[in-house]
Amino acid sequence: MSRHLARALLAALAVIVPACAAADARVFACEPEWAALAGEIGGDNVTVYSATHGRQDAHYIRARPSLIAQVRRADIVFCSGAELEVGWLPLLMERGARREVQPGQPGHLMAADHVEVMERPERIDRSLGDIHPSGNPHVHLDPDNVARLAVELAGRLARVDPANEGAYRSRLADFQARWGTATKRWRARAEGLRGMKVVVHHAAWAYLLGWTGLDRVATLERTPGVPPTASHLRRLVERVRTTSADAILLAPHHRGDAADWLSQRTGVPVVELPFTVGGRDEASDLFALFDVTLTLLEEANNRP
Amino acid sequence: MRVVMRIARSAAVALPALLAGTQAVSQSGTVPSATDLTAEIQALKLEYEARIRALETQLSTIEAKSRAVEREAASPVRRAKSTLDNAFNPSIGIVLDGRYASFSAEESAIPGFATGHESERAPEGLSLGHSEVTASGNIDDKFRGNLTLGLGAHPGEATEVELEEAYVQTLPGAGLPEGMRIKTGRALWTFGYLNEQHAHGDDFADRPLPYRAFLDNTFNDDGVELSFVLPSALYSEVGGGLFRGDDTPFGGSDNGLRARSVYARIGGDIGRDAAWRIGGYLLDGKSLNRGGGGHAHGHEEVAHEEEHEDEHEEEHEDEHAHEEVHEDEHGEDFAGFFSGGAFSGDTQLYGIDVRFAVAPTGNARESEVVLQAEYFWRKEDGTYALAEEEEDGMEHLEELRTDSIAHGWYIQGVYKPLPRWRIGARYAWLSPPDGAEIDHDPHAFGMMVDWTNSEFGRVRLQYNHEALDGHEKDNQFILQYVMSLGAHAAHSF
Repeated sequence: MSRHLARALLAALAVIVPACAAADARVFACEPEWAALAGEIGGDNVTVYSATHGRQDAHYIRARPSLIAQVRRADIVFCSGAELEVGWLPLLMERGARREVQPGQPGHLMAADHVEVMERPERIDRSLGDIHPSGNPHVHLDPDNVARLAVELAGRLARVDPANEGAYRSRLADFQARWGTATKRWRARAEGLRGMKVVVHHAAWAYLLGWTGLDRVATLERTPGVPPTASHLRRLVERVRTTSADAILLAPHHRGDAADWLSQRTGVPVVELPFTVGGRDEASDLFALFDVTLTLLEEANNRP
Repeated sequence: MRVVMRIARSAAVALPALLAGTQAVSQSGTVPSATDLTAEIQALKLEYEARIRALETQLSTIEAKSRAVEREAASPVRRAKSTLDNAFNPSIGIVLDGRYASFSAEESAIPGFATGHESERAPEGLSLGHSEVTASGNIDDKFRGNLTLGLGAHPGEATEVELEEAYVQTLPGAGLPEGMRIKTGRALWTFGYLNEQHAHGDDFADRPLPYRAFLDNTFNDDGVELSFVLPSALYSEVGGGLFRGDDTPFGGSDNGLRARSVYARIGGDIGRDAAWRIGGYLLDGKSLNRGGGGHAHGHEEVAHEEEHEDEHEEEHEDEHAHEEVHEDEHGEDFAGFFSGGAFSGDTQLYGIDVRFAVAPTGNARESEVVLQAEYFWRKEDGTYALAEEEEDGMEHLEELRTDSIAHGWYIQGVYKPLPRWRIGARYAWLSPPDGAEIDHDPHAFGMMVDWTNSEFGRVRLQYNHEALDGHEKDNQFILQYVMSLGAHAAHSF
């Protein structure tokens, strides 16, 4: 019986292995924003896989079989880092990933390692909730960070796939030109939003708040990773009323019930921002992500 | 904050200086005319401007300095310095597990199966379950090590330390072919779905019947396992191992290389938010006087037998006669051999597992449905030896020759309607060894509801209805908490 099994396994191997050869550089992106950036820089020369979609919370992902299979074949693993994916990425890396994408290798690109990370905690304790000892990992909502990572990614792609270095360099130049113009436009629009008072859910918006100058007046989730309690929400009602907040910001992967509850009691509208590429249908690429985000904020801010 | 204070201090120094300057100017002139005054004001203005400019430069230097300090604090080099003293320590994880249990039946045993200490019903009343301490870390660029101690506190007995896992495994940098991994030592080996995970990660307070009957909860023999994740678009993994043969379903290894395994599994996604995995497994090996509980607790049976070694010798000549008697005579208690005897012979255990998980919003943390089922099929070819007391008060070792098949399965579903709440149901069924001639098929139904405060703390209430023998039904209530401290393993599928 076991001999039959062994024979069946060999037969399965014979079918599966030849199907694995691939010409492109494969990019395994942990989040859609990095998948989108890899698409911009890599173009036709890369095959990009995003481990999560726009409505998923990248903190809590299961190391599902499909992810093991994808990371197994990746030439570059491109993630946010700063412990955002600590619950699942190490398992994937250990289970299937090649040596070339392990930490310290050119194929291992963690965004938080290449930008200035905000909100690095002074005290670390589980009673403070699900905090990130390395600081806030949601670095992609600052256009300057995206620009820095575009340069870094192009360099990495050139290293793992030297044959197409020229293509990566020229696509980077093109992206930089477009991104630079767009960033100027966004900064001008952000001037009009300066001082807008917002209530946020978790630390997802720290980088957006940073460059737009939005004013965070309250946080829905008092302890990160732990849903807001009723008593905290009651205190929030008072705070939101006295500060006359303009909007309650919500990401697609956040549960809206606490935000809706607060909104009903205070009259402050809930604004669901895309947070990442694909977080709303309109936010189909990185440019649209920022455009849509600013438009939604402006709508809320200009509300009488 | 510190920056602001420094600015305030500079301002405090600058202000009196400015005032002093004004006084000096006003004292210099005796009878100030209008033009003088204008000139004086002009001079004052210039002076003020100069001073303000000086202040501004000072301010920006301070700001730049503080930014530099912040940057320095944020840089990885600085961070490493502050934690250097314990950066190389292994990560430690502790799991605390306690429970309150209430049972309607006095006894709980699975007829036809020699279950050990591990898979017994938990003690009634308040008790500690399985506390666990895990230390793990990378050894170097090629190896990773893990040590897990299980602390079993059985009421009325000394606390028992069990070495659940102590293994070394290769890292991707070890230079093996891509996707290949070797693990050696003692580990929760790849067999079925639940065997690889620690009991505190289970969805129910106890393991389902097939795990209790065929594996005494877990197969964590000493051995070596090789696994290979294939570079295919569809997840596929194959592997196999060699084991000492000292843990259930085997036992009493003499040469230390008596069991082996092979397995294969595949998995993938369905749409964006659903995933599946299917596996097939085989454990094949020899046992020599396997008692009830494998290596950890199973030596009692063997010792018991040795006590009666003399009788055994005397009986030896009659062995064949006995066998024939047992095989022909009806109404003989064959079940006793399977439940309490020591087994010597060949065992083959096949397993199939299926798991399907769907999260409606893509976020398993918010809401999820998980369906899981496993089927085990076991063939045993050998003899069961049982010491029996005869009319003259002497004990004799009797043997039963057997070539029997037993199988069992369970299916369970867990639904998470709200982020903190889960409900689950499970049905398990066993078919005892055909040679045991047991009419009743043991089966059990369980329901649970658990509440998860954070990822690290969970409280569970479970109800079991077990009909293990044909006579008595056991209604069980278990209230359990599972809390983990420190490092904890990643979420596997």
